[in-house]
Amino acid sequence: MKTLFNTYKSLLLFFASCLAFSCDSFVEVEQPQSQLPSSAVFEDYSTATAALTDIYSNIRDKGILTGSAFGISNTAGCYADEITSTQNPSNSSLPFYNNSLLPSNTTIASQWNGTYNQIYSANAVLEGCEKSKVLTDIQKKQLKGESYFVRALLHFYLVNLFGDIPYIITTDYKTNSTMSRTPVEHVYQKITSDLENAVSLLPVNQIVPQKVRPNKTAAEALLARIYLFRNMYPEASNMASAVLNQSGTYNLESIENVFLISSKETIWQLQSGAAGLNTLQASFFTFSSAPPPLVSLNNDLVNKFPTGDLRKTKWVKAVSSSAGTWYHAYKYKENNATSTSKEYAVLLRLAEQYLIRSEARAFQGDLIGAKEDLNLIRRRAGLSDTPALSKDEIINAVLEERRWELFTEYGHRFMDLKRLGKLDSTLNSLKQGWNTDDRLFPIPQTEFSTNPNLGNQNPGY
Amino acid sequence: MNYFSFYKDGKALYCLILIGLSLCFSSVYAGNPVRSNTNKLQQNQIKGTVTDGSGPLPGVTIVVKNRSGTGAVTDYSGQYEISASPTDTLVVSFIGFKKTLIPVNGRSKIDVVLKYDTTTLQEVRVNAGYYSVKESERTGSIARITSKDIESQPVTNVLATMQGRMAGVSVVQSTGVPGGGFDIKIRGQNSLRSDANTPLYIIDGVPFSSEAVGSYITNTAFPSPVSPLNSINPDTIESIEVLKDADATAIYGSRGANGVVLITTKKGRTGKTEFNITASTGFGKVTRFLKLMNTQQYISMRKQAFVNDGITEYNSWDYDVNGTWDQNRYTDWQRELLGGTAMINNVNGTVSGGSENTQFLAGGNYYSESTVFPGTFLYKKGGAQISMNHKSADQKFRFNFSAVYNSQNNNQPSYDFTYDARSLPPNAPALYDTAGNLNWEDNTFDNPLRNLNTKLESVTNDLTASALLSYEVLKNLTLKSSFGFTDLGSKETRVVPSTTLNPAFNPTSANSSIFVNNTDRSSWIIEPQISWGDNTSIGKMEILLGSTFQSQTTNRLQQSATGFSSNSLIYNLAAAKTVRMLLNDETLYKYQAVFARFNYNWEQKYIINLTARRDGSSRFGPGRQFANFGAVGAAWLFSKENFLKDASWLSFGKLRASYGTTGNDQIGDYQFLDTYTTSGVLYNGVIGLKPSRLFNEDFGWETNKKLEAALELGFIQDRIFVTSAWYRNRSSNQLVGIPISGVTGFTVLQANLDATVENSGFEFTLRTDNIKSKNFSWTTNLNFTASKNRLISFPRLESSSYSQIYRIGKPLNIAMLYQLNGVNPQTGVYNFQDLNNDGIISYPEDRQNTADLNPKYYGGLQNQLVYKRLTLDFLFQFVKQKNRTYPMGPAGMMSNQQQRISNAWMNPGDSVPYQIYTTGYNNDALTADYLYTDSNGSITDASFIRLKNVSLMYDLPVNLKESRIRLLLQGQNLLTFTKYPDGDPEFTSYGFLPPLRVISAGVQLTF
Repeated sequence: MKTLFNTYKSLLLFFASCLAFSCDSFVEVEQPQSQLPSSAVFEDYSTATAALTDIYSNIRDKGILTGSAFGISNTAGCYADEITSTQNPSNSSLPFYNNSLLPSNTTIASQWNGTYNQIYSANAVLEGCEKSKVLTDIQKKQLKGESYFVRALLHFYLVNLFGDIPYIITTDYKTNSTMSRTPVEHVYQKITSDLENAVSLLPVNQIVPQKVRPNKTAAEALLARIYLFRNMYPEASNMASAVLNQSGTYNLESIENVFLISSKETIWQLQSGAAGLNTLQASFFTFSSAPPPLVSLNNDLVNKFPTGDLRKTKWVKAVSSSAGTWYHAYKYKENNATSTSKEYAVLLRLAEQYLIRSEARAFQGDLIGAKEDLNLIRRRAGLSDTPALSKDEIINAVLEERRWELFTEYGHRFMDLKRLGKLDSTLNSLKQGWNTDDRLFPIPQTEFSTNPNLGNQNPGY
Repeated sequence: MNYFSFYKDGKALYCLILIGLSLCFSSVYAGNPVRSNTNKLQQNQIKGTVTDGSGPLPGVTIVVKNRSGTGAVTDYSGQYEISASPTDTLVVSFIGFKKTLIPVNGRSKIDVVLKYDTTTLQEVRVNAGYYSVKESERTGSIARITSKDIESQPVTNVLATMQGRMAGVSVVQSTGVPGGGFDIKIRGQNSLRSDANTPLYIIDGVPFSSEAVGSYITNTAFPSPVSPLNSINPDTIESIEVLKDADATAIYGSRGANGVVLITTKKGRTGKTEFNITASTGFGKVTRFLKLMNTQQYISMRKQAFVNDGITEYNSWDYDVNGTWDQNRYTDWQRELLGGTAMINNVNGTVSGGSENTQFLAGGNYYSESTVFPGTFLYKKGGAQISMNHKSADQKFRFNFSAVYNSQNNNQPSYDFTYDARSLPPNAPALYDTAGNLNWEDNTFDNPLRNLNTKLESVTNDLTASALLSYEVLKNLTLKSSFGFTDLGSKETRVVPSTTLNPAFNPTSANSSIFVNNTDRSSWIIEPQISWGDNTSIGKMEILLGSTFQSQTTNRLQQSATGFSSNSLIYNLAAAKTVRMLLNDETLYKYQAVFARFNYNWEQKYIINLTARRDGSSRFGPGRQFANFGAVGAAWLFSKENFLKDASWLSFGKLRASYGTTGNDQIGDYQFLDTYTTSGVLYNGVIGLKPSRLFNEDFGWETNKKLEAALELGFIQDRIFVTSAWYRNRSSNQLVGIPISGVTGFTVLQANLDATVENSGFEFTLRTDNIKSKNFSWTTNLNFTASKNRLISFPRLESSSYSQIYRIGKPLNIAMLYQLNGVNPQTGVYNFQDLNNDGIISYPEDRQNTADLNPKYYGGLQNQLVYKRLTLDFLFQFVKQKNRTYPMGPAGMMSNQQQRISNAWMNPGDSVPYQIYTTGYNNDALTADYLYTDSNGSITDASFIRLKNVSLMYDLPVNLKESRIRLLLQGQNLLTFTKYPDGDPEFTSYGFLPPLRVISAGVQLTF
C-alpha cells in the first residue's frame, strides 16, 4: 500500500509540475520576423526613411493621386470636359463621365480610404520623429518637412473633391474615428500652415537625385497654388516668384522634353515601381487601335486647341479606324517597360507656376506682368502672344491656357472651373442632369455608418 | 523561474519527447507477459450456417476466442468454415446482432442463430475527443455520421458529407468549381466577425487548421481563398463526430465556441486480411440556370431603352443594336460557358487486418474531376493512409499510430465564367472566328474566353500524423500521451499572359504577369494525460487530467512578376523584368492548456460530467493570454428507474442537460503589436515600410456560454428513437475587426466589443426501423433544426460603426433594406418609402427595413431500404430561408437580363413590377435600380427541398467465399424543388458557379 501511495504521489507530482509550468512563458511569442516595432522604426534613419518614402509609392499606386483609372487625373477628367468614357457598364470611369456617381461607388471609396491611409502614414512619421531619441535634428527636419508637405498635399485634393472633410493630424483612432468635418476654409488654413512648416523645415537642395522627394521648392510651389485657390493673390504671386526665380535649377523645357525624367521643368515627381517601369498614366491613357477600350480625350478639348499648338501635335495622339477617329493623351508616351525608365509621374512642374503668377498678377491688376507669364507658356507651345487685353480677358485666357497646358494632370481643369465658379456654365450643356450640387463628389456611404459625427452627405446624393 | 525558462527554445518539446519515450519503454520493464501456453491440440475443421432464425446471414465474423490470426466470414448462404480445437470457443459477431460465444465441445458442425441486438446503437462508443463515452451514457450533445453515410456520396469535401445529415449543422457550398469551399455553421453564427465562426477540426487527435492557405491574389475563381479542408479525403474517414454543447466542447476551451469536428480515420480490425477496392466514374452538370432573355427580347429591351432615354441615334459603341453585331444571332451563353460536363473518376483501395494485439490498415486513393467550363482543366487528388494499433500481450501498453497524406493538384481557369454567362448580350458574336482563333470582332467584343489563358495551378500536399502511447501503470490508472504533427505545403500560381488582353492594347509578353502564393504550415502538438477510472462502492468514476502544448508556424511568400521576354517563360520569375515581393512572413502561434474531466455514474442511472480547461494563447497581448473555461453536464436515465423498468413500450429514456463556457480566439496572430510591415515596394532604392494596423493591444477572449437540455426516448426496443434538444448559446465580449471610419487611415480596428449574440434553437432527430424482416428492411432518419439568431445587447449601437449593419433583437445576418413601393406609373421609376418624410430617399434614414437571411429551419430526411442484395439509400435536404435575387444591373444597358424583366414599364399608366429601361442616361432610374438591390424587392423566398443524395447498391450474386462484388450507383443534388427564380438557391456569394448535379457509377470489390 505504501508503494502504491508513493507511485500515486510521484505521478501526481509529475503532473502538478506539468501544470505548474503551464502558466509560464510558453505562449509568449517573440516579435515576428517580418514586422518591426513602430518604436524601432524611428530609432534608425534608414528605416525611418523607408517609412516615409513608402508613402510616395503608395501615392503613386493608390488613393486620389494614382495614375491608374482610379486616380483623379482620370476621374476628375471624366467628370469635367477632358475625357470621354466608353459606355461599357463595367467601365469604372463611366459613372464619372455620365454624371451618375453614387455614394457606394468603389472608386470613390478607394480614393477616400487610400488617401487617408497615406495621411495616417505621414502622421505616424511625424509622431515617430517626435519620440525618437536617436535621429538627429537635421534628419528629423527632413522627415517632418516632407510629412507636413504630404499631409497638406493630400488634404488639398480631398477638400477639392469632397468639400468639408476631417483634417487629420494624429494617428490616434479614438480621436479620428469620431472627427467631424472641418469647413473648407479651415481646411485651407491648416493646409497653409502645414506647408509653411514644410517650407521652413525642408532644404533647398535635393537630397536624392531625380527630384523624387519633395524639397523646399516643392512646398513653395504647392503653397503658391494654395494661395491662388484661396484668392490670396499677392501671396500667390510672391510664392510663385520664389520658385520661378531659381532659374538655374528649374527652367521651361521644349514641349517634347517636359515629361522626361531629366526635365528641368519638373519640381517634384514620383519614381516608378522598378527600374524600367514608366508611368501608370501612360499605360492607362494610351491605346493603339480604335475604338478605344476605356477612355479617350474629349473631342471638345481636342478641337479647341489653337491652330499650330505644339501641345496638340506632341501631347495628343489620334488613333483611327473605319469606325472613326479617337484621341488619347500622349504626354507620357511609354506605355510599356523600357530598358531604363524614361518617364516618372510629374506632380509639380514649372509651367503651372507661371500660370499661377499670371493669374494672380491679373487679379491684382498687373496686366503687363500677367501677359508676360502667359506668353512665356504660349510661345513655348508655338503660339503667338495672347490677344487678351482687359483684366477679365486675361483671366479667361489663363483659364483656357491652363486647360491646354495641364490637361489630364491631376484634375486641374475640374478644380479650375470650380474655384472660378464656371462649373455650371461649362458642364450644363455637356452633362445630362448636371446641377450645382454636382461640384462635390459624394462621401463614401460607409463613412456615415462608421463615423457618427460626420453629419450629412454632400448635397445631391 | 524567470531566469530559467523551461519552454524557451523547445526545451519543453525535448522534455516531453523524453517522457513519451520513457512511456514507450515502460512496457519493457513492466512487461511480464503471460506466455500463451496453449498446447497445440488437434485442429478440426468446423462448418456450419449462421442465420437470424429465418434466413442466412452473410458477412458474419467468426473467430476463435483467445487466439489471434484465425477467423472466418460467412458467405452468401451464411456458411462458414473454421479450424479450431475441440475445447475452443467460437466468437460469432455481426453488426446489429448480439455477440454470441459458442463452445465447440468437440463438434464439427455448428449452426448458429444470432439474436438481433436492439440496444447496439446505445452501446456504441462515441468519440468525445479526449475520451469516449457510451452512447447511452453521454451527457453532451454529439452528432455523428459514419463511413456508411460518407461512402454513399460522390463528394470530395469532408463538409459535403455532412450536408443535411446532422441536426444543428448547416453546411452551404460556396462554389461548384472543384477545389472550392463550403461554409459550415454549427448552431449558428456566434461571432460578429464573419470569418471567425469556423469550428475546431481534429483529425485523430491532432488539430487541423482550417485557416485558408489560398490567397486573394491567386484564388480569383473562388469566392474566398481556398481552405485546406479539401485535403481531407472522405474515403479515409471512419466517422465524424460533431461536438455541440458546453458539456462536449468546454474541454476544448478557447477553441470550442463554434463547435468541434472530430474526424476519425479508418483503422484495421482483428481478423483475416481484407482487401477493399472501389472504383467509380461519374459526371457533373450545373443544377440550374437563370431564365435569361433571348435575342429578340433583349434587342427589344435595348431599343426601348434608347427610346426611353430620348436617344434617336445609336452610339458607335452600341454594337449590339447599331448593326455592328448580327441582331438575329442567338447564343445561350449559360449553356455555352457553363453547360459542359465535368467528368469525375474515383478509385480507392485499402488492405487491412491484424491479430488480436496488432491491427493495421493501409490505403490509397485517387480522384479527378474536370470542369463544366470550356477548355480542359482538371482537379486531381491522391492520397495514402496508414494506421497501426498495437497492444502488449498483458494489455497494459497500447500504441496507436496513424498518418494520412494527401496531395491535390488543381488546374483551373482563374476566372469564374458565371458572371459572363449571365450578362453577355445574347447576340454577342461567336467565340471563335473561322480560323479557330479567339474572335474579338474588330475590337467590339471582350471575348470571355480570353480568360481561359489565365490559369490557376495549385499544388497542396498535406500530412497529418498522430501517435498515442498509453500505459496502465496501476490497475485502472493509465498514463498516456498523444503526439501529433502536421505539415502542409501549398503552392499556387496564377498567370495572366498577354494573350488575355484585347489586341487593341497591342499587348506583348511584356504585359504578361504571374502571381505566386506559397504557404507552408507545420504544427506539432503534445498532450500528456493521466486517467483513472473505477467502479467503486459509491458509483463508477472517471478522472482525466491533461495538458496541451501546441505550436504552429506558417510561412507565406507571395510574389508577382511582370514583363517577360516570351509568354513561354511566364512561370520563370527569373525571366521577368519586374518581380515584386508582395508578402514574405512567418507567423508563430503557440498555445497551451491544462484540462480535466470528472465523470460520475451511479448505477447507470444518474451521471454527472464536469470538464474544465485553462487556456493560454499567443494571439493576445501580455496579461491577456490566459482564461478559464468549464462546463457541467448531467444525465438521468429514467427508463432504468423502477417505475419504468417494466414498461414494455419505453425501451430507453434519458434526460440530459449541460451548461458551461467556451471561447473563441480566431483573430489572427500578432494583432496586438504596434508594428511596421515591409510593403515590398521599392522607392528610391529602399523597400518601403508601412504601418501594419491601428494599434490596440487591449483585447481578450470572446466567451460563449452554452446551455442545453435534451430528451432522448426509445420505443419498442428502440425501433423508434427520438432525440429532442433545446439550446441557447450566448456569445459576448465580441472580438471583432470593428469597421472604422476610413479617415483613421484604416477601415478596421481589432477590439473587444461589449455586445452579446444569442443563438437558440430546437433540434429533433428521429430514427425508425419501419420494417425489419428477413428479406426487407426499411429505416428512416429525420433531422430537423429550427434556429434563431439574435443580437441581444449592443451598448451604444446607434453611435457605433455597426449602426447600419445590426439591429438589437434581430439576427446578425440581416439585410438592411429600403421599402419598395412599386413602380411609379407616371415616371416608370421605382418608388421607395420615404421613412423620415424629408422628400428624398436618403441613406441611412430610409434604409431601415430588415430581412432575416438566416435559415428559419433546415434538416434532412434519409431513408434506407434493403431488399435482399439491393440497398437503396436516399436523402432529402430541406432549408427554409430567404435570400437576395441575382442583381443584373440596370435593365437597358448592354448586359443581358432575366426574362421576367420583360415586364417593365413602357408608358405612363403602366402598372408593372419592373421599372423603365435606360441605357445609362436616366439618372433617376440608375439610382432607383441601385436602391432596388438594397430594397425588400430584391429579397425573395429561397427555400428549397433537394434530393441531395441517392445511393443504390447491389451485391452481385456470385458465390465466392468471403468476398463480395458490389455495384454502386450514386447521385448528388439530383432534384431541386424551389421557388427561387435566379438559379440555384444554395449560395453565399453572387456570381459563382452553383453546385453540380453529380451521377456516378462504380464497383466495389471486397476479398
